[in-house]
Amino acid sequence: MKKKIMMVDDDYDLLQIYIPVLEKAGFEVATANSAAEGLELFKTFLPDLVLVDMAMEHFDSGFVLCHRIKSLPEGAQTPVVILTAASHETGIRFSTQTAEERKWIQADEYLDKPVPARELLAFITERFFSTPDQAHH
Amino acid sequence: MKIERANILVVDDEFGMREGIRRLFEAQGHRVETAETGRLGIDKGVAEEFDIYFIDLRIGDIDGVEVLGAIKGKYPEAICVICTAYASIETAVETTRLGAYHYIAKPFAPEEIQLVFDRALERRWYILEARQLRLEQERRLLEIAQEKSRIRTIINSIADGIVVLNQDAEVVLFNPQYPRLLELKNELVIGRSIREVLPEHLQEMVTDIFNQKDNLQGIQQEFVIRPPAKLVVMANTTPIRDDQNRVLGFVSVLRDISELKQLELLKSQFVNMAAHELKAPLTAIQGYLEMVVDKSLGDEPVVYDGYLRRSLERSKTLITLINDLLNISRIQAGKVRREIERLDLSAQVKSVVDFFANEIEKSGLSAKLELCEGLMIDADREEMQRVLTNLISNAIKYNRPQGLVLVKTSREKGYARLVVQDTGIGMKPEEKERLFEEFFRAKNPHTRTITGTGLGLTLVKKIVDSYAGRIEAESVYEQGTTFTVLIPLAER
Repeated sequence: MKKKIMMVDDDYDLLQIYIPVLEKAGFEVATANSAAEGLELFKTFLPDLVLVDMAMEHFDSGFVLCHRIKSLPEGAQTPVVILTAASHETGIRFSTQTAEERKWIQADEYLDKPVPARELLAFITERFFSTPDQAHH
Repeated sequence: MKIERANILVVDDEFGMREGIRRLFEAQGHRVETAETGRLGIDKGVAEEFDIYFIDLRIGDIDGVEVLGAIKGKYPEAICVICTAYASIETAVETTRLGAYHYIAKPFAPEEIQLVFDRALERRWYILEARQLRLEQERRLLEIAQEKSRIRTIINSIADGIVVLNQDAEVVLFNPQYPRLLELKNELVIGRSIREVLPEHLQEMVTDIFNQKDNLQGIQQEFVIRPPAKLVVMANTTPIRDDQNRVLGFVSVLRDISELKQLELLKSQFVNMAAHELKAPLTAIQGYLEMVVDKSLGDEPVVYDGYLRRSLERSKTLITLINDLLNISRIQAGKVRREIERLDLSAQVKSVVDFFANEIEKSGLSAKLELCEGLMIDADREEMQRVLTNLISNAIKYNRPQGLVLVKTSREKGYARLVVQDTGIGMKPEEKERLFEEFFRAKNPHTRTITGTGLGLTLVKKIVDSYAGRIEAESVYEQGTTFTVLIPLAER
């Protein structure tokens, strides 16, 4: 069965860029344009991986969505990757290096935008789907 | 150093004496009054202050000593010369004790009385001079007091806070604005060190000044009294030096720069937002181009057509965004060079709608115009075109297939009224609220593929406002939006 990736971003074009590349690599992809849409989609689509933009309706929409997904029984184990350009814009660096950081920010990974499609593909394949056992479901 | 015309009173019952003295001194240009009785002498002598009094000690009715007493009682500085035929040590002592200036024994030669008179007059001159000086000094003291209170009033009226400190940081002077701007909880007391009153976070205000002390040329310090930028003050402190260049103290002027700080904050927020908005289309363009260059979807060029078209579209938005930014900054800086001319609004509308005819058709829309003739406004042609272009292109972009773009013009109480209406996706109330905000763009499923800068309507509003006009929007979500613009009609 194909692995499922849910991507949430309010920029139409970014979705257009990633979808075909991920699909071509053999993933089933579904997209949402806002955190609210993303949460609904998650419940029905039940992805193996969530890619979410940080700033959508609000500058921290990505955090909030991540937190909500992790609070769902079906989402507790689903890896979430937050894509953000915030480190350039605010000078704040996000990381999940320490246990404290991981506890607060439940995202599994952060990626600095912009991420070229092939790099994103390489990263998630390596990090989450390198062996069949590591994938959820 | 001379009294040119002295006033003299002679009190003597002897006619010969009175006339003799009168003739002697009137000949010298003085004024001489006489009194033949003691009673009259007192009356005249008290009614007016004479420079020199000649008083006979033995007058018929009243004792000369009594006359002397009455006059000295009224004018303590009066110069009285006692004349007596029976000069004795006792009377001389008695009268000088009572304040007589001198005494002269009768009979006397003119030279004798002249000598006494000259010395008496000189004395009188000193007395008058001293009195003058005293009066001037009093007046000057009064002036100084008034000057002080005037300066005090001026200092208290200055909007900036002012404090003067001596070398030991003790308060010498301050105005009410000073403690108010610093929001000091304790009262400033003259003569007490300012350090006692300043809260911890303001102590460096004094420390920095006194660390440099003798070398200090002037120092500017900024303090946030109420964070983040609600109350920010700038303290401008300069030393007060004497003529030997020694530092006597400091004068510190406090200015409320909160507004400036707020502006700085807004500016940096704007720059931040602008950077974000510039980056978004570039990120998309970069992503698309990477796909093409990497051949992410295979070697067939036709696969990439859509991506390239989309890149082009977003790069056009980028150009528009940059132009809008430049226009907004030009309007804000007041650097717009306008060429005001008399324009027919309806003709302008028609030309802009014609310009979009192709796009309207391509989008499967139809346009309808209801134009009023002869609506003349005084405006810059380019700016009016920018307003119309923005509103009409929005009506096209945010419309739906088979939709309608309706543009109407009419006359309304001194205004030309322009209505641009679409049958498109509309806005939610909370979106409408933020419509004219810089960089605001409605984000909902309908808008995701529509490109825009979020500055178009900001710009339109700024332009309309600058003509003393008005712009309003009415919108129903998923049904359409109506923009109404009022621009003052040209005066005939």
